[in-house]
Amino acid sequence: MRKLFLLLSIFVSSAITAQELPTSHAERMKAGTGLFQKSIRPALIESCLKCHGDEKIRSGLDISSRELLLKGGDTGDAIDLAKPENSFLLALIKHEEEPEMPPKKDKLSNPLIADFQKWIELGAPYDKPLLEKKTDRPEEMRVTDSDREFWSFKPLALDTPPAGDDDWARTEIDQFVLATLDKNKLAPNPPASEHARIRRAYLDVIGLPPTPEQLKAALAMPHADLVDQLLASPHYGERWARHWLDAARFGESHGFEQDYDRKFAYHYRDFVIKALNADMPWNQFVRYQLAGDEIAPDDPLAMMATGFLGAGVFPTQLTEKEFESARYDELDDMAATTGTAMLGLTIGCARCHDHKFDPIPVKDYYRFASTFTKTIRSEIDIELDPDGYRKASETWETGHSKLVSKKSVYESKPEVIKAFNEWTKTDAATMVSESDWTMLNVTGAESSQRATTLTQQDDGAIFATGKTPAKETYLVKTNTQLKDIQFVRIEALTDLSMKRNGPGRAGNGNFALSNLKVLVVEAEDKKQPLKIVSAEATHQQNTQNLSVASAFDSNVDATGWAVDAGGIGIDQAAVFKLEKPLTLKSGNSLNFELRFANNGQHSLGKFRLSVSAAENPAVAVGGGKSEALTEAQAALLTGVLTPEHRKTLFPHFAKSDAKWNKFDAVVRESLAAKPQPDMTKVQVTSEGFPPTKHHADGRGFPHFYPETHLLNRGDPNQKLAVSEPGFLQVLMRNDKSTPDWREAPPSNWKRTTYHRHGLANWITDAENGAGHLLARVAVNRIWHHHFGRGIVATPNDFGLQGTLPSHPELLDYLARRFIANGWNIKALHRDILLSSTWQQSSASSPEKATIDPDNQFLWRFTPRRLEAEIVRDSILSAAGQLDTTMYGPGTLNESQQRRSVYFMIKRSRLVPMMQIFDQPEPLASQGSRPSTTIAPQALLFMNNAEVIKWARLLAAEVAAKNPDDAIRELYLRTVSRGPNEEELQNNREFIAAQSASYNSVKNSQQLALADLCQVLFSLNEFVYLP
Amino acid sequence: MNPYSDLFSRRDLLQRAGAGFGSVGLASMLAQEGLLAKDASDPLAPKKAHFDGKAKSVIWLFINGGPSQVDTWDYKPELAKVDGQELEGFDKETGFFSKSVGPLMKSPFEFAPRGECGKMVSSIFPKLGEHVDKMAFIHSGHTESNNHSPALFMMNSGQPRMGLPCVGSWVTYGLGSESRDLPAFVVMSDPLDRGLPKGSAANWGAGFLPSVYQGTWLKPKGAPIDNLSRPGHMNIEQQQRQLALMKKLNGSPVDAELEARIKSFELAYRMQNAAPEAFDIDREPEHIKKLYGVGEKHCDHFARQCLTARRMVERGVRFVQIYSGGMENQRSWDGHSDIKGNHSQFAGESDTPIAGLLEDLEQRGLLKDTLVIWGGEFGRLPLSQKSKKPGRDHNPHCFTTWMAGGGIKGGVSYGESDEIGHHAAVDKAHVNDIHATILHQLGFDHKKLTYEYNGRRFRLTDVGGNVIKPILT
Repeated sequence: MRKLFLLLSIFVSSAITAQELPTSHAERMKAGTGLFQKSIRPALIESCLKCHGDEKIRSGLDISSRELLLKGGDTGDAIDLAKPENSFLLALIKHEEEPEMPPKKDKLSNPLIADFQKWIELGAPYDKPLLEKKTDRPEEMRVTDSDREFWSFKPLALDTPPAGDDDWARTEIDQFVLATLDKNKLAPNPPASEHARIRRAYLDVIGLPPTPEQLKAALAMPHADLVDQLLASPHYGERWARHWLDAARFGESHGFEQDYDRKFAYHYRDFVIKALNADMPWNQFVRYQLAGDEIAPDDPLAMMATGFLGAGVFPTQLTEKEFESARYDELDDMAATTGTAMLGLTIGCARCHDHKFDPIPVKDYYRFASTFTKTIRSEIDIELDPDGYRKASETWETGHSKLVSKKSVYESKPEVIKAFNEWTKTDAATMVSESDWTMLNVTGAESSQRATTLTQQDDGAIFATGKTPAKETYLVKTNTQLKDIQFVRIEALTDLSMKRNGPGRAGNGNFALSNLKVLVVEAEDKKQPLKIVSAEATHQQNTQNLSVASAFDSNVDATGWAVDAGGIGIDQAAVFKLEKPLTLKSGNSLNFELRFANNGQHSLGKFRLSVSAAENPAVAVGGGKSEALTEAQAALLTGVLTPEHRKTLFPHFAKSDAKWNKFDAVVRESLAAKPQPDMTKVQVTSEGFPPTKHHADGRGFPHFYPETHLLNRGDPNQKLAVSEPGFLQVLMRNDKSTPDWREAPPSNWKRTTYHRHGLANWITDAENGAGHLLARVAVNRIWHHHFGRGIVATPNDFGLQGTLPSHPELLDYLARRFIANGWNIKALHRDILLSSTWQQSSASSPEKATIDPDNQFLWRFTPRRLEAEIVRDSILSAAGQLDTTMYGPGTLNESQQRRSVYFMIKRSRLVPMMQIFDQPEPLASQGSRPSTTIAPQALLFMNNAEVIKWARLLAAEVAAKNPDDAIRELYLRTVSRGPNEEELQNNREFIAAQSASYNSVKNSQQLALADLCQVLFSLNEFVYLP
Repeated sequence: MNPYSDLFSRRDLLQRAGAGFGSVGLASMLAQEGLLAKDASDPLAPKKAHFDGKAKSVIWLFINGGPSQVDTWDYKPELAKVDGQELEGFDKETGFFSKSVGPLMKSPFEFAPRGECGKMVSSIFPKLGEHVDKMAFIHSGHTESNNHSPALFMMNSGQPRMGLPCVGSWVTYGLGSESRDLPAFVVMSDPLDRGLPKGSAANWGAGFLPSVYQGTWLKPKGAPIDNLSRPGHMNIEQQQRQLALMKKLNGSPVDAELEARIKSFELAYRMQNAAPEAFDIDREPEHIKKLYGVGEKHCDHFARQCLTARRMVERGVRFVQIYSGGMENQRSWDGHSDIKGNHSQFAGESDTPIAGLLEDLEQRGLLKDTLVIWGGEFGRLPLSQKSKKPGRDHNPHCFTTWMAGGGIKGGVSYGESDEIGHHAAVDKAHVNDIHATILHQLGFDHKKLTYEYNGRRFRLTDVGGNVIKPILT
């Protein structure tokens, strides 16, 4: 056969034109060299060399020699000799382009900039390279102590609050704020009105407006008490969890192609709410999220917390070519989110090259990322309340053992024993059932599908639970001593827990046994199928494809025994005759394979297997004896009873004894009430658990690779070296005596590497590790959400590209205090909420706004629009429609009445009302939400069916009142104050005119009130923090 | 006197409407008067691009699922000569199904020269073939993923990952909104219950840009945009009375942001009246409907979408994306099996409508500043994929896309694939290059349209992108 060879690509080479040199070249170079020595060289050394040639080569630009300068950097040429005025370098130092150079320093003087231009015009000559021994310079970025001098990497300062004798300053926070205001010739605002303060406190702390009753109570209590009360409310966690969930890019689906649900991811959201409500210290909050599975594996909260690392998106369909790069993307998601959310560091920027701005070498990135090498998402069963279960079990054990001993005391009474002995000799033979059927001893039962769990019950039946898969096969292992077995029986049993009581798991209670296999197992690889020759059933759905005979025909998956058409909700039995009598050899087992495949989800819900050696056993349900009873019955005939025989026979004797039955009933009742562990499926991010199922499992997707490599330009096809887990050098405070944060797992611990435990140690180490930055970032986030702007206005970036703190001393003071208070979050809230800074009015002032238009120095409380969730929750709450049920799975139903934090976050179906009010897409960490004002928001208030529904419900609540009282009540419920006279009048007129316009409608007055409620929901005052 | 009679006069609107979908003159006038809030509260105010672009708007016909270049626009006579032979050295993991790789397969369609330029065009485009003199073909496209959703993300957002802003969002961020009654960026998906493109809304998502820049998905059924109709129980007067009360109760706030919010209600009221008109294609005359193929059973749905796109563009919508086909396999151009039947069907659905769109845009003088793009997320292999009727698997190494209007030369071809259409070979065009070109036509230097997020300045073209200058007028 002729073979075609791949055609080579044809490349058109672009001609390289040599630059023509002007005639006066030598002269120009001479003039240029003079200029270089006079002003350019000192300027380059002073302002540029450190980052572009000496310690680092930022943006790939090295200016230490002319040759290297001409090579340019990552973004292209630095200088343009043909058109000097177009040189990028000039644009940067002129601050015409970003990043402005030199960074974080004053602009170079104009004469100096002019010199630069002149010098480039002259050909940018150097007299000699700026560095002597260029060859010794390491290629990679070095992290030095001068890098650690950047404000956010430095240890927290030990500032004390500036003294001030102003009455306005109530707390240390105020002293810092006032000092900065003074410096900027600004004065703070007076306190907000009582009503505004209370409404602000409610919305800020718990995200709900006060009810009229709460408002009344709050007016009568000191502010500090109100703050304590609100911080103790369970709604506090629901409101503040949502802030952190933005930073954690929390979502409950995979994203990408199919965007499969992560049904058990909501536990992470619940963890955040619970942790905040329980005032979990921030360092523990962080440690649990990174390594809760290693630090406190027995604490369900710690396991739930690990949802953090696995909350990012992941492709649901992968080709072989994408396996490895997808895994590196996943590692990047974990590393980058940890960096931004916890440390305000854009670690992810060092994936392809040394960080362009921050002192994070690419090697540090891969060390950091390799911490997560084996970390994957899994769904595991967790006992959510182990303490509760333990306590309940102990109590039950004590009670139960008493009942059991009462029963056995009665059983060992001499007169009872005597009567029993009599019975064995007289009535026993007739009183014990004479069934042909002996139940099999079941030694194991499982489904081919993980979703189904098979459990054995006391009565020998096997019970199926879990989500019913479309198709499955039950595998049941049994043994028996019975000889010459001729028949096997399957009882299909009903149960109240099943749909239409079963016996099947299908929606209509039916099942369809497509195929039955009975196998004698001598060894794993030696299984002998037994031939079935005929069958009979108590009921069959038809005589063809759903008959009992079709359960062992050659048509394995298309036909099978089913029982609809009169058999649903009734116990059924099928009896199968074996070709030859069977006696099981010792050590062999008898296996059953029950295949359910001819109809979706038509598995058996409850069934029992028995065998018979009789010639003609009854085709009926029930009567199956345990093997022990069969033996004991045989022993009765010989008259020699062992203690086991007696034990087996005793209940058959005692069932006619009323007293014994009473004892027995009590024990049974108690057994039925035995506490069960509250096992719940939880999505965790850990190591060594089975990975969450993936579409590409069938293609062999490995979920993780045993090693993470340092990659060239982030390309998995360019591996440079294996990367070991490590920490960021810039946050390893003391090089000389760097402690070892790594943690060795206990000797009996095999499942995980403990690498994340080490990370958690380092990140929370406030002595030598990253703890100071961790505290700064946390304090700033909390400040940001209280005031709408952080002390650092870029909460996710504390690096060189981030903004500088507006109040650096205050930030360090608060962070230090935070750590000293045991990383106590509520104490920090309290400090802020009790300050005059937070309590001042939001009134604007043209004079102050001229000096500080963005209010970064806090001369007022910035009014700002409530977040999407709080807008909706406020409407529900004002309308009296809020369902305060906490925790558990969320929903996508927009009509749901729980708080908006309980919306399920499905990435392909984000809730429109949340999106329209700027809830961010849960794709990467978000530190601050934009707050936009767009017409679609107005359209929602005007026309949305849910809004109108809630307005009507609110109207119904006040409809019985006279118009003025109704208006007053509506004002209290929506904007937390009464209307003034003018407002009252406007509202009265509206109701009158609007209800008149509805004159043909029966409840025109109430419709008018509903229209008014809608107006109140739409007011600026309703959706803005006062 | 009626207290709200003057509320919605034209004069009043000109003074007040600022937030949301504003117009150029209006917004700049308000800005001069200091009436407009800063960017944060008016994210959609029209903005100037870096230079005057030739195109004002974009209609992107997304040929979803991956159209086969060798069966559409990239005529490969060499492929016919080697039909049925094995391709030596072929990497079986190039496509999606490594276990059903077949031999080389010629196109099942005839090609014939069309237009004045004589472009060889597949027989599945009888009508579109008439317009080749308007089109610039890029035959050397290549991308980075062989899998639908990453490739869709790549084509829409420049990276094969989820979470980056798509082209339309970048454009809206850069230019704001021209229309004050309609969204700046709209997306239409398959209305025949064949699903959304893979990755669904992330394909028109704003990523880390503020969510106002995301595409507005026009629902294929029922009201295309949420909350656009006045509640059923209310007449105009009643709603106006509500708005009048709201205005009174809101008072005259000092803060610009609060002022902007008051204006947004007045604007919303106008949108509510104007937008339904824009979507109502039944207002078009019969001959126009016929031109697009409205009413023709096999292509009615796509014809309506193309006609809607023209009405949008006419009314100042900046960016329209229409997906041809639904999700995957037989529901879109994803011809894994029966490439002949598959491409015949989807070309049949779109041939008349797109031809009608080009003609209509041209006759109205809109084509010169409307950039029309035809292309999918990747190409298909010149080999067959084994199936009852042979199909073709994904090919990330080569695809064809064409552009027309908006400052694009007509009747030209750029770049070449190799002789069998397997790899892009001459003047390779990366997805970043296509994006750079689109931005360029709208007046942007793609290297300068950036957004700072989590410490990094992001751009659509990441670290790549070269404008494909030879196809520009």
